[in-house]
Amino acid sequence: MIRVLFFGPVAERVQMRETQLAFNAGMKLQDVVTALSAQHPQAFDIVSFTAVNQAQVKDIQLPLNDGDEIAFMAKFSGG
Amino acid sequence: MSEPVRIQQEDFSQDAEIAALKASSKRIGGIATFLGCARDFSEGRDVSEIDFEAYGSMALAEMNKLRSEAIAKFHLLDARIVHRVTTVRAGDNIVFIAAAAEHRAAAFDACCWMIDELKQRVPIWKKETTPQGGSWVTQHP
Repeated sequence: MIRVLFFGPVAERVQMRETQLAFNAGMKLQDVVTALSAQHPQAFDIVSFTAVNQAQVKDIQLPLNDGDEIAFMAKFSGG
Repeated sequence: MSEPVRIQQEDFSQDAEIAALKASSKRIGGIATFLGCARDFSEGRDVSEIDFEAYGSMALAEMNKLRSEAIAKFHLLDARIVHRVTTVRAGDNIVFIAAAAEHRAAAFDACCWMIDELKQRVPIWKKETTPQGGSWVTQHP
């Protein structure tokens, strides 16, 4: 399974904090983005950062592994 | 002694953080600190509360990385970063950053760099409660 996390303003637009997707061999980050952004276009309008296993990722072609944790995040506003 | 980098709900003591820094080295000649606290206004609106939310594990890892980078970049003797993730009201403490160095210039520069980097790199978000409702904050300068 792939665990997907949402926080703050993105979570509010998706109306959930977490979901899971079935893992398929050869799955890439882009597959997750495509599937979820089609379901939640307003949330993905404000996604500025993506992390896989708590590290920021810019390559949408990144291959995924079973058990990966993905987070879609809006711009940060801490401090 | 508490960890030098923390995310916590409860308030922190600046005195305790500074004492911990001073205990870490007798070579310290200057400590620069930044205290972020809650305002009662934002962009012309009254703000009654601010709610913080974090991607805790990633935020803590990034804050630890940030501290290590600051120590290396500015030749600090030590540094501490504490961020609260809870609901705060006007005047409450939010974030504390301290940089300890042999001389003041490095301490000032490092302190400024760390808060700027924290705002850019650490996955924490805040939502302000105003009379018009709640709104997530975009970055402030």
